[in-house]
Amino acid sequence: MRTQSLAKIAVVGMVGVLALTACSNSKKSGSGLGGGASSSGATSGGTYTIAFEGPLSGDNQQLGINEVNAAELAVNQANAKGDLGFTLKLLKADDVGDPSKAPAAAAQVLQDNTVMGVIGPSFSGATKAVGNTYGDAGLAVITPSASNGTLQTLGFKTFHRIIPNDNVEGTQGADWLARKGLKKVFVVDDQSDYGKGVADAVQSELKAKGVTVTRSSVDAKTTDYGAAAQSVKSSGAGALFYGGYDAQAALFAKALKAVSYTGITAGGNGVKSSVFTKGAGDAGNGWYFTCGCLDATIATNAKQFTADYTKAYNTPPSTYSPEAFDATNALIQAIKDAKSKGSVTKASVLAAVNAVDYQGITTEVKFGADGEPAGATTVSLYTQKAGQIVSVGLLKDQS
Amino acid sequence: MTDFLNYLILGLTRGSMYALIALGYTLVYGVLQLINFAHSEVFMSGAFGSYIIIHAVVGDGKSLPWFGVPLVFILGLGSGALTGAVIAWSLERVAYRPLRRRGAPKLAFLISAIGMSFFLSQLAGKLFNRFTNNQFPTYFQQNRRVLSIAGADVSVIQLTLIVTAVLMMLFLDRLVSGTKLGRSIRGVAEDAPTAALMGINIDKTISRTFIIGGALGGAAGFLFGTAFTFSNIMGFLPGVKAFAAAVLGGIGNIRGAMIGGLLLGVVENLVPTAPWNGHAWIGIGWTDVVAFVVLVLVLVVRPSGILGERLGRAA
Repeated sequence: MRTQSLAKIAVVGMVGVLALTACSNSKKSGSGLGGGASSSGATSGGTYTIAFEGPLSGDNQQLGINEVNAAELAVNQANAKGDLGFTLKLLKADDVGDPSKAPAAAAQVLQDNTVMGVIGPSFSGATKAVGNTYGDAGLAVITPSASNGTLQTLGFKTFHRIIPNDNVEGTQGADWLARKGLKKVFVVDDQSDYGKGVADAVQSELKAKGVTVTRSSVDAKTTDYGAAAQSVKSSGAGALFYGGYDAQAALFAKALKAVSYTGITAGGNGVKSSVFTKGAGDAGNGWYFTCGCLDATIATNAKQFTADYTKAYNTPPSTYSPEAFDATNALIQAIKDAKSKGSVTKASVLAAVNAVDYQGITTEVKFGADGEPAGATTVSLYTQKAGQIVSVGLLKDQS
Repeated sequence: MTDFLNYLILGLTRGSMYALIALGYTLVYGVLQLINFAHSEVFMSGAFGSYIIIHAVVGDGKSLPWFGVPLVFILGLGSGALTGAVIAWSLERVAYRPLRRRGAPKLAFLISAIGMSFFLSQLAGKLFNRFTNNQFPTYFQQNRRVLSIAGADVSVIQLTLIVTAVLMMLFLDRLVSGTKLGRSIRGVAEDAPTAALMGINIDKTISRTFIIGGALGGAAGFLFGTAFTFSNIMGFLPGVKAFAAAVLGGIGNIRGAMIGGLLLGVVENLVPTAPWNGHAWIGIGWTDVVAFVVLVLVLVVRPSGILGERLGRAA
C-alpha cells in the first residue's frame, strides 16, 4: 500500500517535471537564433562577450525578455555584418529583477573574462545592489531602463544609462500640468522604487508651482482600483498622475472610466507600452505619457528594428526593447572604438563607452561624467488615440 | 453621502468575492481542521479555465448578440467552477490524502499546502503567461449604469457580481443544511470517527467538500477576472484577505465566512476613504493595513470570530 502510493506521487512528480522541462525547452528553441549566428561570423579577431543582466524568469520576466531579445538582435546583426574583426557573444544573466538576486547574477558575469560590458540591470533596485560590484571590477555598465533619480549620485564608477532619470521626466511633466492652470492634482504611486521616484518629482514640482497635490499610494499587487478611482473622482482634482508600471495603470484606467472621471490622466515612461493599451482598451484613450525617449515608431531606422525584431521573435518589440537595442549597439560601437585604438580590455572599453557618441533609434547615446545621458532634456509627450500610442511632441513645448 | 454609498457598493462588490473564496477555506477547515493555503490558486485556476472556454466561444466578443451575453456569462461561471473543482479535487488527492493516510502532523499539511500554492502559481505562469493584467474578452458593457441610489451609481458588473455571489452562497447554505451530502459534511466536521461508524465514507466526504469549495473559488476567479483582471499571481492578495475574512467570521462556520467576507470588503473600502477636513483621513494606501487591524481588533474581543467556531454545526 505504502509503496504503491509513493509510486503514485513519484509518477505525478515525474510528469510535472517533464512538463516543465518541455516548456522551457520549447521556449528556448522558440527564441533561439543565438548560438548558430554568433559562431558563423567567426573571424580571427577573437571573441568578446556582452553580458545582459535583467529579469529572465519570475514575475517581472517580460521586461527582461523585451530587453534581452533586443540585445541579442543587436549582437546577431553585428556578427552577421562581418566587418567587426571579432566575434561577439551574448551572456544572459538572470537577476529576477530582485535586488537580493542581483549579486549572484553579477558574479556570473564577472566569472567570464571575455565580458567587456554589461547591458542592464533592468531595474533600479537591482542596479543599486550591484553598481559597486561592476564599478570595482572596472566593467562598463549601460542600463536601458533603470531610471531612478538617485542612481547617478551613488558613486558607481562604471554606471551609464541612456534614458533621462525620473527627476527630469517628473519635473517636466509637472510643469506641463501646472501650465494647464489646474488647482488640484491627484498623484498616485505604486510603492515601487521607480513609481515613488517619479511621483515624488511630480509632486514637489507641482507644489513649487502652487498647485495643491493629493498624494496616495496603491500597492502594485492591487487588482481592484475601484476605491482609488472613486477617491480621485471625489477629490475633484483636475488631473491624475500615476507613477508606476503599465499593467497596473491599465487597471486604474479602466476603474477611472467606470466612475466616469473626466480630468486629465497621465503617467510616466513605465506606463507607455502596448501592455497598457491592450489592457486598458478604450479606457486608455486620452491618457498622456511622459517619456524620455524619441518615438521609436516614427524614426526610419526604428521601423527596420521593429520589422527585424518581429521577424526574429514573432512578437513586436515592447517596453524598453528599442532602448536595449540602442544600449547594446552603443556598447558594440565602444568595443569597435577600443579595437581601432589598440587592444580590447575592460579598461579600454570603459574609456570608449565614456567617450561614445552613437546615434541610436531612440536617442543619441552620449554620456556625461556621472553616466547620465549628456543631452537628456528631450522628454516627449505621448497620448493614446483610438488604442494606439501617438506622439504629441516635446513636453516642454506643450501648453 | 453619495461618496459613502459609492464606497459601500465597491466594498460589497469586493466583499462578495472575499466571501466566496472564504467559503473554500472554511469548508475545508470544517472537515479537516486544515488551512488549505493553496485555495488561492484554485481561485486563480478558475479564472484561467473560464478564460480558455470563453475565448474559444466568443473570440474577442465584439460580435456577440445581446441575448448571448447571459449564456456566455453562465458558461464562464460554470467552466470556472469546474476548473476550480477539478484543481481542488486533485489537490486533495495529491497533496493531502497521502499525508492523511500516514497520519502526518498538522504542520506537514501546511507545508504541503504552501508548496502546492507556489507550484500552481508558477505552473500557470509557465503554461500561460506572467502578465499581470490579462483581460477577458469584452462581450458586454460592464460599466453601464443599472441603478442609481441617492446619486451613487451601480454598474452592471457590480450588480452581477453581488447578485451571483449571494445566490451561490444561498445555494451552499441550503446544500449544507438540507441535503444528505450536507449532513455527511457536518457529520465529518463534528466528529469524523463517529461519522465513520455511522456509515459515512470520510474520504468521499472530504473529496466532495474540496470539490464544493473549489467550485465556489473557481467561480469567484471567473467573476473577479471579469470585473478586474486575472494573472498567475492574482490569488495571493484576495486569498489572504479571504482567509482573514473566514477567521473574522469564525473559521469553520459557513455563515461566518459570508458575513466576514462582506464585512471585510466594506470596512477596507469605507475606513481608509473616510473623509476628514475634505481629505481621506487614512488614505487608500493603507487599505490592507486597515483590513488586518480590523481583524486583530475583532479577534481581541471575540477570539473565535464574529459567529464563533461552530465546527460541527457549520450552518
